[in-house]
Amino acid sequence: MTISEIVHVYNRVGFGISAKEAKSLQGLSRTQLVSQLFNASQKVEPLTINLTELRNGLKGLNLKDREKIRSLIKDSVKKIHELNSAWLYKLGTTEQLLREKMTLFWANHFVCHDKNILHFEQYNNTLRTHALGNFKEFVIAISKEASMIKYLNNKQNKKQKPNENFARELLELFTLGRDNVYDEKDIKEAARAFTGWNHDLRGNFRLRRFQHDYGEKTFLGKTGDFGGEDIIDIILQQKQCARFICEKIYRYFVNDEVDASRVSEMTDIFYKDYNIENLLRFVLTSDWFYDPKNIGIKIKSPVEFLIGMHRVVPMKFEKERELVYLQKLLGQHLLFPPNVAGWKGGRNWINPNTMMLRLRLPSILLANGEIALDEKGEFEDDFQRFNDKRNRQRRLKVTPDWNTFYTNHTTITAAQLQQSLLTSPINTGTETYLEKLADQDLKETCIQLMSLPEYQLC
Amino acid sequence: MNRRDFIKQASLASTAMFLPKFVSGFNLIDSAVATGKKLVIIQLSGGNDGLNTVVPFRNDIYFQKRPSLAQQKSSLIGITDDIGFHESLVAHSDLYHNGELCVVNNVGYPNPNRSHFRATDIWHTASSANEYLQSGWVGRYLDATKSNSTAAIEVDDTLSLLLKGEQTDGIATKNPQLFFRTTQEPYFKKVVQHHDDSHLSEHNLGYLYKTMVTASNSAKYLYETSKTYTSKIEYPKNEFAKQLKQVAQFINSGLQTKVYYTSLGGFDTHANQINKQKRLLSVYDEAMAAFIKDLKQQDSFKDTLIMTFSEFGRRVQQNAANGTDHGTANQVFLIGKQLKKQGFYNPMPNLSNLDENGDIQFDVDFRKIYASILNNWLDVDATKVMRSSFTDIKIV
Repeated sequence: MTISEIVHVYNRVGFGISAKEAKSLQGLSRTQLVSQLFNASQKVEPLTINLTELRNGLKGLNLKDREKIRSLIKDSVKKIHELNSAWLYKLGTTEQLLREKMTLFWANHFVCHDKNILHFEQYNNTLRTHALGNFKEFVIAISKEASMIKYLNNKQNKKQKPNENFARELLELFTLGRDNVYDEKDIKEAARAFTGWNHDLRGNFRLRRFQHDYGEKTFLGKTGDFGGEDIIDIILQQKQCARFICEKIYRYFVNDEVDASRVSEMTDIFYKDYNIENLLRFVLTSDWFYDPKNIGIKIKSPVEFLIGMHRVVPMKFEKERELVYLQKLLGQHLLFPPNVAGWKGGRNWINPNTMMLRLRLPSILLANGEIALDEKGEFEDDFQRFNDKRNRQRRLKVTPDWNTFYTNHTTITAAQLQQSLLTSPINTGTETYLEKLADQDLKETCIQLMSLPEYQLC
Repeated sequence: MNRRDFIKQASLASTAMFLPKFVSGFNLIDSAVATGKKLVIIQLSGGNDGLNTVVPFRNDIYFQKRPSLAQQKSSLIGITDDIGFHESLVAHSDLYHNGELCVVNNVGYPNPNRSHFRATDIWHTASSANEYLQSGWVGRYLDATKSNSTAAIEVDDTLSLLLKGEQTDGIATKNPQLFFRTTQEPYFKKVVQHHDDSHLSEHNLGYLYKTMVTASNSAKYLYETSKTYTSKIEYPKNEFAKQLKQVAQFINSGLQTKVYYTSLGGFDTHANQINKQKRLLSVYDEAMAAFIKDLKQQDSFKDTLIMTFSEFGRRVQQNAANGTDHGTANQVFLIGKQLKKQGFYNPMPNLSNLDENGDIQFDVDFRKIYASILNNWLDVDATKVMRSSFTDIKIV
């Protein structure tokens, strides 16, 4: 494989690759490289943080002890920020690139948020477990997650008074896509099938029999005493479901602009058994994946951008809060999706503000540059806190590890570094300017390359 | 572009050319006249308790439901025989008596959402409760008028959904000088200077370069224009007042920007509401007093419309912690010199007809207010901005 192809694959299934590593993989064929990627992602390594104290706090909890509950919720919310940094660091170091990249993908598909860290951590790991598995098992598992049950109000979905929120999003966002195959009546019937799907305090799934509607339902033309699993089964029998997922995967891994014939090839494969791994193997080994028109043209998400830099020059944030702040400024605060539809992605990441920030961020993070440090107020902030926030210009407390960078780049030239950092064609004016900067330290070159519009693409 | 739009844009462009904007220290007193009408949007974030802001002090239900929170007549600023303003709203009561305030009661939408995030999204995107839009109505205003980014400014460091369009996004900046300085870093400047325009395509790379150039030009424009005006009015010393002062500086310096947005947070008063709300409302009212004085002194008030909203009101029944929980419909304030409807647009909430949660029922859809502002104040066809058509209620 050529270096540019190797960098391309790693950009899409991971967060880029170092010039040295890319060089070492040159001897492999596509099939070999792709197999290697899947092998590396075999194992499921859950994302965990220390929650012992919270778990102990739950033991023997008196549900009438409001003060205790309030303090538990407060601790829980703090822990969500901890899970956020832990996730980012995991992305920065993981060997299971494909699994982690797919976990990110699914987190923006089965969109969810929860204040309960015990449930939310479990939900996050369910994404990871099924990321490359069978889509049907995945949908069932997600529908039974406590966080999801709360997020889409299935907790309030009872036989006497059905709540349609979950059923609606299951069809519209998770499986079939808006205005496809189903109508309002199907939503109502599906909602009935999920009545009583609930969870216990620890986050285990519980079917509340007295709230479940055991009656006959008619859904997508079929009639029976359907339960939730039956509904999911009927949905997946629709080819539209496979098409919907394939199109989303195409846009995520290949190109924002969908090529209908490629998506249709993918759909035929996926519809057979809903095996996610097989589908991805097909995409990553097909010739069209390596077509130059699909290389270096996708706008990186903020997470891809941050982790991509981190994988070249490892960074350590002294203050978790500052890492959160950066994510907010860039427009993607992991674990805090904007709404149930998730982040829109593509050009929506970019506006004059985020663009300027992205171009300046390498020098802010890696060369001690300054940044305005004012956070938007939270809804819950009291006025005192709101007013304490002044216009501040500060240096982030972040330490870049240049030693690791130099160790990994001993035999690498500036041109090779450029090849591994930029896969997009370069604007001619910019290229001329870059040539003038040749013959400087590799560190400077690295920061400059990362500060280009071209580096925003992968 | 139709003929009307063309003439409008052409006349804007020509007046703009004659203004020596970049002469520093030269104060353009009447430049606001040349830059047309402005809209300032203020969000009282967290859900302001509207019922304790504009108070029906003769309503028995109000007192029954709020044993420890109800505002007594003696502590209110009397407005009509049975309505009083919260004691903090001193400037607003003056505005009311001057015919410069319109209170629209019970503003909301069907199937209201009680989450801060979701309700804010609904207000920002002008969507219905079950619709998830990813662009804001001000952003779509930029799209519909083919304006550039500087036509809408959020005085903050990050951009809210409100100002995100399908094609064009507004600009977020709290401090134009700081914003400008970041574009003046040597390397950034060099890349902006050296890039080759002729190679900018419609592809993503072209889009990135264009956005970079927009950012750079906008920062320069905002900084160099706004520095020509310095306010002589004394503002209270707090962050919100500072933001309004910045908006006044933008407006009075003759910036072409049409829409400004800023917010004041902390209104989520689940517990011990009385003192918190009192303090917050005086921060809001005092800053507004200075802001309006600033605009009036430069004669730009007549071309400025201010709209204050909150993502929802609060439950009528108070809770056990001397606070109130998330509610639904709420009042909106419209402030300006050219209001078609002054005082109260519609009657106070009907507290004997609450919804199943015990919340106020809406009677004016918030999108009708937007439509009215778009049609009659910003001179754009509201149907181009809103997803569906809403009756224009002719307030402005």
